[in-house]
Amino acid sequence: MKLRHPLTHDTYEVRSDGTVLVKTPDGVEGIFRDDGQWVRGALHEADPHLLGFIAGPQLKRRGPQAANAPTGGGPALPPQLSRHSRSDNGGNREMDLGLEGRKAIVTAGSRGIGLSIAELLADQGCDIAICARGEEALEVARKNLEARGAKVYTASLDVSDGEALESFVQTAGEELGGLDIFVSNASAGGGPGLPAWEHAFAIDVMGTVRGIGAATPFLKASDAGSVVVIGSTAALEFLGMPQAYNAMKAALISHASDMAQALAPKGVRVNVVSPGPIYFEGGNWEMIKQAMPAMYESALQQCAIGRMGSPEEVARAVVFLASPAASLITGANLVADGGFTKRTAF
Amino acid sequence: MSAESNPPIASLRAVPAGEGPRSSGLTYQELLDTDTRTVPDVLRMESARELPVVRVPIDRYTSREFHDLEVEKVWKKTWQFACREDDIPEVGDHTLYEIADMSVLIVRGEDRLIRAFPNTCLHRGRALKDRPGRSPSLRCPFHSWEWNLDGSLKALPCRWDFPHVKREEFGLPQYGTATWGGFVFINMDPNAEPFDAFIGDLPNHFERWPLEDRYTEAHVAHLMRCNWKAAQEAFMEAYHVISTHPQILSGIGDANSQYDAWDNFSRAITANMTPSPHLGHDPSEQEMLESILTTSLDAEPSFRVPDGMTARELFAQMARMQLQANAPSVTLLTDAELNDSFYYSLFPNMHPWGAYNKIVYRFRPNGNDPDTSIMEVIYLAPFRGKRPSPAPIHWLDYDEPWTEAPELGPLAKVFAQDTFNLPNVQRGLKSASHTHVTFAHYQETKIRHFHTLLDQYLSQ
Repeated sequence: MKLRHPLTHDTYEVRSDGTVLVKTPDGVEGIFRDDGQWVRGALHEADPHLLGFIAGPQLKRRGPQAANAPTGGGPALPPQLSRHSRSDNGGNREMDLGLEGRKAIVTAGSRGIGLSIAELLADQGCDIAICARGEEALEVARKNLEARGAKVYTASLDVSDGEALESFVQTAGEELGGLDIFVSNASAGGGPGLPAWEHAFAIDVMGTVRGIGAATPFLKASDAGSVVVIGSTAALEFLGMPQAYNAMKAALISHASDMAQALAPKGVRVNVVSPGPIYFEGGNWEMIKQAMPAMYESALQQCAIGRMGSPEEVARAVVFLASPAASLITGANLVADGGFTKRTAF
Repeated sequence: MSAESNPPIASLRAVPAGEGPRSSGLTYQELLDTDTRTVPDVLRMESARELPVVRVPIDRYTSREFHDLEVEKVWKKTWQFACREDDIPEVGDHTLYEIADMSVLIVRGEDRLIRAFPNTCLHRGRALKDRPGRSPSLRCPFHSWEWNLDGSLKALPCRWDFPHVKREEFGLPQYGTATWGGFVFINMDPNAEPFDAFIGDLPNHFERWPLEDRYTEAHVAHLMRCNWKAAQEAFMEAYHVISTHPQILSGIGDANSQYDAWDNFSRAITANMTPSPHLGHDPSEQEMLESILTTSLDAEPSFRVPDGMTARELFAQMARMQLQANAPSVTLLTDAELNDSFYYSLFPNMHPWGAYNKIVYRFRPNGNDPDTSIMEVIYLAPFRGKRPSPAPIHWLDYDEPWTEAPELGPLAKVFAQDTFNLPNVQRGLKSASHTHVTFAHYQETKIRHFHTLLDQYLSQ
């Protein structure tokens, strides 16, 4: 790019290293950065507006999610935005997760860890389908995800209803125009007694088995199909009492490992993220903190980093494994627990 | 430093309305005489007002006390653009309008009417809604006090414990609402002047460019390290073009722009595809076109102005072809309406552009911080058929470049030139030993008009 200043008639030409060569009609030259900083040459000052225009940040490529205008008014309040150091730090390259325009399903995606995963995927440019039981929370989540620029499909269902789950996956794949990512997140949680075992089996195990099954035809068609199953450190070490939750999560880690082998030839990766104690409002650990303070305190003390995790921290691990950036990783169980478990994970 | 050490200067006195020197360049009215279509009255209009303000104290931009005064005397008193009607198209849809540290809840009722309430529960004051959404009623998340969408009290848990709460006394207080051009306005002052009186003749100006027939194609909100007035004043004159946007000087009538003021709104008209009076030479038609399209000197131009045609005619023809699909009436629009910038300002902070330029700006303080603000760029685009959903707000942090919002198109880099100055304006204002900023008599008419109105609000 080369421009002439209409008043001074100086020419401004961008060089291959991003600096700008400024030349006056008398042949005096200087080299400048886009922010106006002089680099070298006899000419020591140039127009910062023109330098910025010609060599500053150029228009970002328009992603597919920006092209089809999403619905709903956006958030009225600024989100927590981070400070960007990109321009200060020319040597740093951002890692591209390659998620722009991808399509993802997150089961139980209306709150907690599931919602955090859906939000982060949406932030990376994915279109999202989520299911959950409660319609109100689903609707809130939908607006939230749409405000992040995602195309969103939601369905209210109970994951223990296998047919409803399969039909949701099928419809989501059709509505979004394909599927690249399936995150199996729904869980019955803990609870005493035999009925809890059957319920946990229906949701945690069968929900994952049938969900992956229904998603597989779409994932095979993708050039970067991937499954992430949410496990738990409860499957890895003893957690206070025997319960269905722990055993079901162990079954999932085992099944995911099998599926990683079975689907690898089809180009589909399968991994597990096993969170340790994750604290959020309305979550289990908030309830435990109030109802069983001794258990909460004991768990907190076991967290080597001195605190419990947040849904966002789990989401970052899931989104990485789900993304094409993790192309070499399959059959892994990534433990995200802040040092809660003490075993050596060879 | 006291005000006495900087006494009024005789030469700073306001020149009477409509008088005073002008640029030696072609006037806008003279340029209109060259149009290939019939020029409407709205463009032929000129209007001057008596504007006593030629300079204002610097602490208007820097002090918390002045901000607090603005909250009490302006934000709590005046009509202001809160959202678009299509942000809340369905019954139960609601959105929030945040101004200073106040939150206003705007709701579409069962009767489809739009109502505005303070976003606060009448029980213990929690904000009723945290974010935009849709719900059949307005229920506080804290103790589940619940109101109907029209603001009447619906239910509360343990009704027996509140014998002193009478349903008819516990309806949500209602703010004034009004609509124009698809915009929803609110007013917190129960004694405010009627909206129609406030907006005056502005709707008539937009008769040829109905903004209610547009949808929000893009909505970018950018945090700024400067006072909200410093930010908006960078977009109210063409005087800065010579220094801030030098690349377009060959094709923009900057110093010969036209400025008009009415009661609560003002207007600037800056012509494009006409040379700047600052140039020492007469650019060719092709040079003017390439200047506005910022074509690289070493690149083949994407368009050539044919012999016997002007850049204005060519650009107008291209714009007509582009817009025709979604706005069939553009064939009748003048070359002026398809080339030039008509930037209106409605007090205190709304800046809708005329014709088909798509831009609407809004500037707000960022909470109660006089040193930061929120600048919003909204593109209102014509459409045909079903109304597309409005684009969600794309937030940009202080240091994120406008180019992170590809939906803004090539203008992103022009906004970047404008806002490059703004943090440094705030820095300079805070470093000042002098006491006032000083405005141009004619080219900064709109800013003087704004501060004249601001003075009127502050004195009430």
